[in-house]
Amino acid sequence: MSATISTSTAASGRVAASAPAPSYLGILRGELLKIARMRLVWLMTLLFAGVNFAPYLFYLATPGVKNGLQNQPATLLFAEMGRALLVVRVFGGIYILMLTALLVGIEYQNGTIRVLLARGVGRLHLLSAKLLALAVVALGLIIGGVLLNALLFVGTVLALVHNLSVMSALTGALWNQAWLYALTVAISMGTSILLAAAATVLGRSLAFGLGIAIAWFPVDNLSTILLLLANRFTNNDFWLKISAYLLGPNLNAMAGVVVPARALTIHGEKGVQTVTQPAATLGIQPFVPVDGTHTLVVTLIYALIFAVVAAVIMWRRDVLE
Amino acid sequence: MAQTLVASGGARAVAPHGDVVMRIDRLSKRYGQRLAVDGLSLDVRRGEIFGFLGPNGAGKTTTIRMSLGLIAPTAGGVHILGHDVATDGAHVLPRVGALVEQPALYGYMSGRDNLRAVASVLGGVPESRLDAVLELVGLRGRGADRVRTYSLGMKQRLGVAMALLQDPDLLVLDEPANGLDPAGIVEMRDLLRQLVAQGKTIFLSSHVLTEVRQLCTRVAIINLGKLVTESTVDDLLRGHGEFAVTVEQAAQALALVRAQPWGSTARLDGPGAIVTRAPDGRGRDLNLFLVQAGYAPDAIAPHAQDLEHVFLALTGAANGTN
Repeated sequence: MSATISTSTAASGRVAASAPAPSYLGILRGELLKIARMRLVWLMTLLFAGVNFAPYLFYLATPGVKNGLQNQPATLLFAEMGRALLVVRVFGGIYILMLTALLVGIEYQNGTIRVLLARGVGRLHLLSAKLLALAVVALGLIIGGVLLNALLFVGTVLALVHNLSVMSALTGALWNQAWLYALTVAISMGTSILLAAAATVLGRSLAFGLGIAIAWFPVDNLSTILLLLANRFTNNDFWLKISAYLLGPNLNAMAGVVVPARALTIHGEKGVQTVTQPAATLGIQPFVPVDGTHTLVVTLIYALIFAVVAAVIMWRRDVLE
Repeated sequence: MAQTLVASGGARAVAPHGDVVMRIDRLSKRYGQRLAVDGLSLDVRRGEIFGFLGPNGAGKTTTIRMSLGLIAPTAGGVHILGHDVATDGAHVLPRVGALVEQPALYGYMSGRDNLRAVASVLGGVPESRLDAVLELVGLRGRGADRVRTYSLGMKQRLGVAMALLQDPDLLVLDEPANGLDPAGIVEMRDLLRQLVAQGKTIFLSSHVLTEVRQLCTRVAIINLGKLVTESTVDDLLRGHGEFAVTVEQAAQALALVRAQPWGSTARLDGPGAIVTRAPDGRGRDLNLFLVQAGYAPDAIAPHAQDLEHVFLALTGAANGTN
């Protein structure tokens, strides 16, 4: 300690005479500050932007895209909307899983949770402020992702066909489909936040929370293979029905069943045919047909379980080491 | 301050103690079969540095954690500034600054941002206060550096700065000198004295008994979760009516003294030094006795015990019972 310690009034600054109770907005501000100061967050944001860029480079090099823009703009716009939001869901989901485990786990890792709680911060206030800060980031990812994709799409269109007449295909129905798809992305991210928070609070560890959060969806998806095998060996559809209650497959299927499919008219050798084009999805889906309500209810139940686990453990458990 | 402290359970009469800042009331914590803290009761008064001592595993940190609302007591409670921590922590804990065990900090953030993160939670802390507390602990020049580049001593000082951020009424410090170099320890000691001079109360848990001896007005020693003693430092160290006598031919003088009815507990305390009781407990009578016996003492003074010896004797550590 090289500096001379002095408690002179002039240098001490003044705080409120009677300390106020911690404010929720203040806790939220603190959480946003912690996020903003994480280098990893900016690195992940850069990577997130990068993966959104990549498909457009592919479009510029693919001759069929130009034809699609000129001949079937509405079909291409619908497909492009689904593809762009799918990228936001998958990579934004990984981003938010990692960030949640970091933001919650870092308090246990550093022991800073005791600094905050020892100042009178309510346990559930702290947890909910963290979740709210993460929800703000998730919303930013969705909005930022959509805006970035819109800009890149416009740029690609201009580069390929030198005008924006394709935008006239943006009908009210397409906007509605885009909105519903974005809503499914938000639901997916919200569930991911709760999953990672529950795992981290349960393990009181950054490593444990991160491990569970990252492993959950691969394990969830791959477990369907076991269900498929069980079905083959037993010839019993019960195993296939279980897949309709797994979180990962339901989230994978959600956009496809919630967003209204687009009707396409095809002029082929067999004459004029009408087919439906569902919104873009990715990953293993339930082996039995599910509708939008089913995927939403199953996801809601998982989200509630995660939220209750995180809240009860945070509220009741002693803060030890 | 004139609040009335209301004890839970009602068995312990709680009078309006205007100067009691923290009251630990029959506090207990059980982990399975093990009772980590067993019916502990203490009063910490305004403006004092209260030393909280005990061997490892005595229950000090568990007590501190319960005092800060980090651990729920199995029984009993803690009142700070008249408020029950368990039910009214949100109102009273912002008036408490704490440093529990190792300093807990965000390593990836700068020292200033660490303070800012806590200040935003507390509310009502102006930006100038961050500079002030950094200055106070000698970290003004390193405030912009990431905490992971700090030494243990610097982290400890930042932890103290964080505890002082909201200008608290009560400071709860667990080993605040941990990791500090000798100059840092002296400055920390000066800082604590200045804080007390400003009217703050400090609850200090430490293993450094010389620090406790120099700083604290009162101490409590606990062992195996139970209060062993609570006393002023002077009372604790005061000999039990004994005197330290420096005399030539100490061995012969000791034999003579031991032969007296009042001197049976006399003993040598280093070369040329005897510790003994006095006739009727009076030093001048002891002096007269020795002079008349031909052993004129070079010096006679009331015998003060060493805190280390007192601590070891009270906690049983010297006999390996802990």
